[in-house]
Amino acid sequence: MGQYEMMMARQRKWMFYLLAVLVMGAGFTPYVRIFLGLLLGSVISFYNLYLLQKKINDFAEAVAKKASAKGLGTISRFAAAAVAIIIALRFEEYFSIIAVIIGLMTSYLVIMIDFFVFRNKQ
Amino acid sequence: MGALAAAIAVGLGALGAGVGNGLIVSRTVEGIARQPELRGQLQTTMFIGVGLVEAMPIIAVVIALIVM
Repeated sequence: MGQYEMMMARQRKWMFYLLAVLVMGAGFTPYVRIFLGLLLGSVISFYNLYLLQKKINDFAEAVAKKASAKGLGTISRFAAAAVAIIIALRFEEYFSIIAVIIGLMTSYLVIMIDFFVFRNKQ
Repeated sequence: MGALAAAIAVGLGALGAGVGNGLIVSRTVEGIARQPELRGQLQTTMFIGVGLVEAMPIIAVVIALIVM
């Protein structure tokens, strides 16, 4: 397993742990609206992370094989974030908008923490 | 006016991200083409760079949709 694949697996694992914690928070605490917002944002953020990992892998593979490379999926990620916010605005009684925004940023937090933790180990 | 503000926010955010992504991707392609054995390392750096560059326009999209 290469360095990139290991990083992908680690980041997905941490995102799954985070999602599990958020589901438990929504199920067992009285702050349902906040945790549902965080959950919605984190699910979309996880989709964005998966898309970024996959697209960059495909892109680098295409470059290495000297084939024509397709895009990086930037518009898809913007659209996913827009969908999350539109859902939060439409169902405001179930989702806290601030929590959705914080949830959308979780994958960046995971990327940065993973980078700083494993930078010196490799 | 809200729609105009939203358009300007997303447009300027996407412009910055486009320039940033272009710089990152061009250097990575150059590196992989020169040394294909370093692909994993370059890919990882590109991933982190693109990920962090795209955080800002995503926030811009969110703010644009809220102000609209």
